[in-house]
Amino acid sequence: MGPPCCMLDIAPSASRRRRRQLRDRLASLVIRAAGTGVIAAVLAIGVFLVVEVLPLFAPARIDSPGPAAGPAMAASETIVGGVTLDADTLLTLTPDGRYRTRSLDGAPPGDWDRLPSALLAGQRVTGVVANDAALVLALAGGDVIRIPRGTDGGPEGARARRYALFAETRPAELALAGDSRRWWLAGRSEEGRVAVLRGGGQDDASREAAVRRFTVPQEAEHLALDGDGRLVLASGPRLAVWTLDGDRAQALGDIRALDGPDRRITALSYLAGGETLLVGDNRGQLRRWLDRHDGRAPLIAAPSDPAPLGEAISRLLPLPGKHAALALDAHGGLGLYQALSGRRWQGRAPSGEPLAWGVAGEERLWWLDEKGLQVRTVRAEHAAVTWRTLWQAQLYEGHTQPVQRWQAEVGGAGGESRFNLTPLAWGTLKAAGWALLFAVPLALAAAVHTAVYMPARLRNRVRPALELMEALPGVVIGFVAGLVIAPYVDRHLAGTLALALVVPLGLLLVGALWARLPARLQHRLPLGWAGLWLVPWLALLCAASLTLSPWLEATLFGGDLQGWLASELGLTYVTRNAMIVGVAMGFAVIPTIYALAEDALSGVPRALDEGARALGATRWQALWRVWLPAASPGLLSAVMIGAGRAVGETMIVLMATGNTALMSVSPFEGLRSIAANIAIELPEAAFGGTHYRVLLLSALVLFAFTFAVNTLAEVVRQRLQRRYRRLGGSR
Amino acid sequence: MNAPGTSRVARTGRRGEGGWPWLAAGGVALSLLMVTALLVLLASRGLGHFWPAALERVTLSDGEVIAGQLIRRIETRDGRHEWLYATANRDLDGRAWRWVDAGRIVDRDTPEELVRLERRRWGPFIGYLRAVEPSIADAGMSPSSAARWQALQDRLARTRALRERLSALRASTLEPLADEIAATDNPSPATLAAFAKARQRLVELQQALDGESLTLESADGRRLTLPLEEVLDAWRPNAMDPLAKLGAWGQRVWAFLSEGPRAANTGGGVWPAIFGTVLMVMLMSLVVTPFGVLAAVYLHEIAYQGRLTRLVRIAVRNLAGVPSIVYGVFGLGVFVYGIGGQLDQWLFSERLPSPTFGTGGLLWASLTLALLTLPVVIVATEEGLARIPDHQREGALALGATRYETLRRVVLPMTLPAMLTGVILAVARAAGEVAPLMLVGVVKLAPQLALDGQFPFLHLDGKFMHLGYHIYSLGFQGDDVESALPLVYATALLLVAVIVVLNLTAIFLRHHLRARHRALHR
Repeated sequence: MGPPCCMLDIAPSASRRRRRQLRDRLASLVIRAAGTGVIAAVLAIGVFLVVEVLPLFAPARIDSPGPAAGPAMAASETIVGGVTLDADTLLTLTPDGRYRTRSLDGAPPGDWDRLPSALLAGQRVTGVVANDAALVLALAGGDVIRIPRGTDGGPEGARARRYALFAETRPAELALAGDSRRWWLAGRSEEGRVAVLRGGGQDDASREAAVRRFTVPQEAEHLALDGDGRLVLASGPRLAVWTLDGDRAQALGDIRALDGPDRRITALSYLAGGETLLVGDNRGQLRRWLDRHDGRAPLIAAPSDPAPLGEAISRLLPLPGKHAALALDAHGGLGLYQALSGRRWQGRAPSGEPLAWGVAGEERLWWLDEKGLQVRTVRAEHAAVTWRTLWQAQLYEGHTQPVQRWQAEVGGAGGESRFNLTPLAWGTLKAAGWALLFAVPLALAAAVHTAVYMPARLRNRVRPALELMEALPGVVIGFVAGLVIAPYVDRHLAGTLALALVVPLGLLLVGALWARLPARLQHRLPLGWAGLWLVPWLALLCAASLTLSPWLEATLFGGDLQGWLASELGLTYVTRNAMIVGVAMGFAVIPTIYALAEDALSGVPRALDEGARALGATRWQALWRVWLPAASPGLLSAVMIGAGRAVGETMIVLMATGNTALMSVSPFEGLRSIAANIAIELPEAAFGGTHYRVLLLSALVLFAFTFAVNTLAEVVRQRLQRRYRRLGGSR
Repeated sequence: MNAPGTSRVARTGRRGEGGWPWLAAGGVALSLLMVTALLVLLASRGLGHFWPAALERVTLSDGEVIAGQLIRRIETRDGRHEWLYATANRDLDGRAWRWVDAGRIVDRDTPEELVRLERRRWGPFIGYLRAVEPSIADAGMSPSSAARWQALQDRLARTRALRERLSALRASTLEPLADEIAATDNPSPATLAAFAKARQRLVELQQALDGESLTLESADGRRLTLPLEEVLDAWRPNAMDPLAKLGAWGQRVWAFLSEGPRAANTGGGVWPAIFGTVLMVMLMSLVVTPFGVLAAVYLHEIAYQGRLTRLVRIAVRNLAGVPSIVYGVFGLGVFVYGIGGQLDQWLFSERLPSPTFGTGGLLWASLTLALLTLPVVIVATEEGLARIPDHQREGALALGATRYETLRRVVLPMTLPAMLTGVILAVARAAGEVAPLMLVGVVKLAPQLALDGQFPFLHLDGKFMHLGYHIYSLGFQGDDVESALPLVYATALLLVAVIVVLNLTAIFLRHHLRARHRALHR
């Protein structure tokens, strides 16, 4: 330390003093700025997470992006319909077979073009539908024209083909499904008759040759097609499901979808992905039905949306790439529905009934009516997530009942992601729970022994040794647990489980033997040093127990403990399981709990102990009646901080479990924790997407939980220190 | 056991306290046992891997012969004994190890001629050396095993020398010339001539390397020709005496520390990972030290010690307990996507959409870890500041020093060991932290070091390797975990050794510090 006397040899000139004061002020400013900056930066973590997570819960909206795009339609223009071509163009058609593109960005419409008259054969166009693979025009005479789309999405007029769907009557409703390899087209005539075209083949030629037409012997008011050839017909309150896979339509079942006397289905549509059917009725109620593939009832009903639109639903428009749809009611009410989270927005449609409407790109709704084209922005990026869908069981596609499931990447286009945090939270708590079950008794026992029995000289050596344990990186512990201990325990399960009994019994045996020893030997092996000289004895016990493992298994469990567990207790054994995590993470949190608990115990004022001992208490009695009650808040805070560490530990859980998001209590099954899940999935999640934000939400949950637990522990600890000071302790 | 009767106290006498104290002592003993067992396991497996252990020739009951090193013996749950042999020869067998049912073993011996070659590709080879081409033998006589071995040794030494000259030529002559030529549009004829000459020389050296090959035979009699160039090293462990083995062991340990990984990380060394870890940690401490110390000084010396400061102090303390993965998330969101993405738009827009700073890299990893370890430094420095008795400060102020002068000349020098302790603890924590790095830029294999001779020398945007992540990726993401396992042990041992040494230093410093302050207080 430098002698602070340098002022003495300095002539106290005014300029010098000014310079010194300036420097002082400057330094103070820098330190203030840096200090507050650093603290703000550190605290910004919470703020950042909140800011990034909030958009998840922002309500969905449909806004007007400004003045309607595109000029009003010319008076001569009568339009039968329009379809989305790409992210910012749509195609409109007139009854006489002329068509042109229109931009959604307000650019002038393209030039008129005309369908070849040979293709039209004098019939008028009455409607148009489209999916990713083709455009289909309905003709007044009952025929349809199918125009396949190229790889860029544009229609390829040269490959257009005309097929007969109905004789003498125009198709009133068309539904389109499939891709360029296999496709279905279902039509309903004005009278309610239903006919289907099915196409598909290996190459272009056979694909066009192999188109078959068949009729469905049932009348319908509405129809919908799913992605793999299921046709759903609605008539009155009933839904009939047909499969179109074979040479003729086969009935799969008939369901009464609506209860009540005067209810009927008024709109029907599959959502993107073709597994979820949305059914609207004349009371404005929407209900979700899921395809079921196990041969029993063809559809499963999800609970209906609790908030009806009010008027009969007249049209449904599935949003591409989302499990959501827009619903229009008879009086111009518009609602945005998401499969899991229900209605997310309600408002007015641009006008009563459109000539055509559709969604272009990610979020642009276009609306074509007599007055022209209008564009709205649909902001529903995170519509699938609500607080309820994040935690409660949901009826997901492919399931028959509501489950809590985390599965961010679901195979296939339009697969429904399952963002349910409950299994992850459960996995986190389960891992932490097993870890604490292992660590708390050990760490507290060690702390008690160190504080009460150990001579100071030894304590000063043992404490750093156990603190070093804390420094062991999680990745090393995780590696040993996952690659060494897990397979070993798999082979020596009986012996490992027996350790839970053998070790305490072995210790009690030592105690009993020791009490019988002559005093001289007792002096040589004092209890205070038992932490050291018990180590070989415990090593011997462990080795014996593990060596005897096969014998134990053979005598007690018929040679196959895992089989016994499965048959007697119904527990499946997985190599990397919660028990392994418990031991490994327990190992990692022992030093944390130990150090804090030992601090709390050794801080207990000596006077208390001395008083108790003077009244004749043994050391153990003094401990149990005096030390522990005095230090209990400190012990509690130690356990809490240990729990905080166990909850957030990433690498150990990542490496020592199979990372399967299960909801089981069994210590012999795997789990997936929030932290491990973030480490696995966040690098792959698209920035700003729902998956990314849900992962950030899980990080926020982790942050909030550990921060709260640690703060509580810290407050408890400070209160304890004050109490000790009051009691006249050493600290 | 909350009501031990007096009679019992009397009966068991002075020390009679029942079994509880023994269970408590067991807590310490079991914890110590676990730490010791872990360290012993890591040390034995990690160091043992480099020992040139005996190679066995094993004859099985169906006549099959395998050669390899016995790695492990386990007893399966149905009571059979399975032995694991590292048989190498991945190119012949499609795998580098083999489980053998001990009951099927007819004969085991350790023939001296068994060689183990370290190869550039396919991992090691275990088998016999049958010929060295072009043959060294005088016409007609096939050379003895010892002579072949000697020949191989000579050739290897020569190859090694050639290889060194080759890389020296490449680094000292060829690459500077190539850079020079690339830099100017019309290089001078002298440069071009020098370049051509150097290339000619390179080709000659390469040819000298290429001509030679070995004929090898595996234990079950399959032959294999291997260019000598592919061979990095060769041993006959069964013919070595312990001293030679010790030498070879040292050589292999050194190779592990100083070489880059080979064969999809299952062979070779971990030098890039060591380098990446050290560089990242150094950058991190450059950031964390000044800011951590300033924040601590602000909190303890300058801020008004009110309720707010107390709350901030608790918050900072608690941040040390926030899971590291949360810091990783922050680093990814703020540094990589936020600041990095913005930097890319301003400075590197010509490279977009492939990101420069908008992806994980050395800089972001260092900053993330700096944030993660800030609480450690702040807490340790504050503790140090709190230990300085007020009379020291008061003395300085009384002598007319300004607050800044007191701080700089009196307080900070006395806090130095505490700061150092904090920084060392921070470094130790950062060196072992893997989870946040997985989000902000660590990779399985980074072919280039982040520090090299090319401007700007330190590539802050580069991806890097890390010892901890190396353990994870080797052990849990590779295809052949069994072959990678020894390297995982060695890497884990190295990491633990580094961290333990750092922590011991910190503990020593803290101890020293406490002793000194105790003296000060008197």
